[in-house]
Amino acid sequence: MPLCLLDDIRKTYKMGDVAIEVLRGIHLQVEQGEFVAIMGTSGSGKTTLMNIIGCLDVATSGRYMLADREISRLSDDELSVIRNEHIGFVFQNFYLLPYATVLENVLLPSLYIDKRRDNFEQKAAGLLQTVGLKERIKFKPPQLSGGEQQRVAIARALMNDPDLLLTDEPTGQLDSKTAVEIMDLLAQMNRDGKTVIVITHDPNIAAYAGRTVRIQDGVIMQ
Amino acid sequence: MHRLLKITFQSIHAIWAFKLRTVFCLISVALGIASITVIVAATEGAYQKAFEIVGRFGPDALLVFGGGEEARATGQRQKTITLDDIDAVKQSFYSAYLVVPMTSMRDIQVSYKDKKYQTLIVGSTSDYSQVWTWPVMQGSDFTGEDVKGLRNVGLIGQFLAAELFGDEDPVGKTILVRRIPVQIVGVLSERGTTPTGNRLDDRVIMPITTIMRKLQNETKYVSAMRIRFLDQQNLYTYVDEMRSFLRKRHRLHQEEPDDFTIISPREIVKFLVALTGSLVAFLGVTGLIALIVAGFVLANLFLLSVRERTKEIGIRRATGAKKRDILIQFLGESVLITTLGGLCGFLLALVAARLLMSIAQFPIHFSWKAFVIGLLLSWAVVIGFGLQPANRAANLKPIEAIKG
Repeated sequence: MPLCLLDDIRKTYKMGDVAIEVLRGIHLQVEQGEFVAIMGTSGSGKTTLMNIIGCLDVATSGRYMLADREISRLSDDELSVIRNEHIGFVFQNFYLLPYATVLENVLLPSLYIDKRRDNFEQKAAGLLQTVGLKERIKFKPPQLSGGEQQRVAIARALMNDPDLLLTDEPTGQLDSKTAVEIMDLLAQMNRDGKTVIVITHDPNIAAYAGRTVRIQDGVIMQ
Repeated sequence: MHRLLKITFQSIHAIWAFKLRTVFCLISVALGIASITVIVAATEGAYQKAFEIVGRFGPDALLVFGGGEEARATGQRQKTITLDDIDAVKQSFYSAYLVVPMTSMRDIQVSYKDKKYQTLIVGSTSDYSQVWTWPVMQGSDFTGEDVKGLRNVGLIGQFLAAELFGDEDPVGKTILVRRIPVQIVGVLSERGTTPTGNRLDDRVIMPITTIMRKLQNETKYVSAMRIRFLDQQNLYTYVDEMRSFLRKRHRLHQEEPDDFTIISPREIVKFLVALTGSLVAFLGVTGLIALIVAGFVLANLFLLSVRERTKEIGIRRATGAKKRDILIQFLGESVLITTLGGLCGFLLALVAARLLMSIAQFPIHFSWKAFVIGLLLSWAVVIGFGLQPANRAANLKPIEAIKG
């Protein structure tokens, strides 16, 4: 079984009386351990697709299997659990809590695990070492550079050992040198066995992926 | 449980992080709770004071003044009670174990050596101290012989004793009451003030006979009588009986109003409630308004906060927070702030009460009741005003929230 299986996924938004079909029958498979780039221009539907793959939103119709589970019919609470256990997000704007320290930000996904007594802090510190921010553990995000903030976000995404690292324009806010560092880091995560999906409009970023899927007007171009 | 603990810690974290919001909410809730707490404490204090005053008046006692309800101001009382009335009451009310006549004169000058003082002179029998449960502390009471013999003896209050004699022992000394020399035989214990704030410890008590003959040139009328009954539970039956008894003796027609006034413990409570009630009501309205304003401040600041922290909510939802987790976090923030505000309000109320007591001599009594009511009200504020913002936060769609 592939890690992600999207079968005829459609998404329609209602704007008053007008229904806009943003995704018009997406078929996509992502295997365990793959590095896939989803490329498209703005308005192509790539963000909507990311939301559905990331279980932040559900499709209007079609079937979506993630880690052998049918996602389309899950409740809001069940989707939260799926996101918590299976998906790590990295966003364009980092999305860190400005008032919490670097370590607390990385710990965020562990708050919503019901499991008792696991040494989360030690694990978070280890992840920060992996992304090269061991000395910044007590800093607050506004004290860090963009690249550093994105590294914190990557450490946070890895906190709960997700099956899938889902990244949305992860270098959009960074200069080209830092962008390379971040992409190298993601590539390293992929070599270590993580499945990575990167959503981008930039061919240079897509070049890091093993496979590129193009989306245009709500369908995958072959 | 572990998860709840972790989320509560997030609430504490946010309370600490958003200090300005916390301080504003805290202050407004504290003010609201403080005013409510003062009111509860004041109401309790007023009741306690009422019980105390009734207790001192005597729960088994009546006081009958001459003059009807219209002429209630003490200065303008007519004298309608006679010594014969008193004898008749003694004979007709078997349960009345003490019936004591009293007559009084205001603003009488008393002096000792070069010290002068204007005060109230009360004439009564040797039962005065017993009928008012007002013990003689130094020296001794005057006797039945003193009353029969129209002797120039007297008891004085603590305050007057200090005014006239300073550190000297007043017992055995002679003072002048108007121009009559009166020998002090005893000093009464401290009594404080009347509910209206008149000093009680500056009076002189003398045999009623001495006052009537030597100061008033009076043989028949007295100002009042004080009666104590053996069976307290029938007191209000006696009030009715006393009224018809005196009306009959004074030959009043049916349409004529009473020419006397009966004061019972119930009357005193009524009077006290009227005295403190309006102040309590005023404070109550003010306090309630303060609390509602506090609620609106809380609701507004939290709504703003939810709007400002939409992204935070989005991030939390993306990393696996359920709706419930968000609700608990935001509700937790307002519960903690208002509880803390409630506690601060209680402390503030303690200070405010001190001030109020020293300025207005208003009786205030703090108990667990005031504290619990304050705390419950602060939680009511959370439910009334904090739930809606928290709910709004919880129901934000993850994709909308993440967009900001």
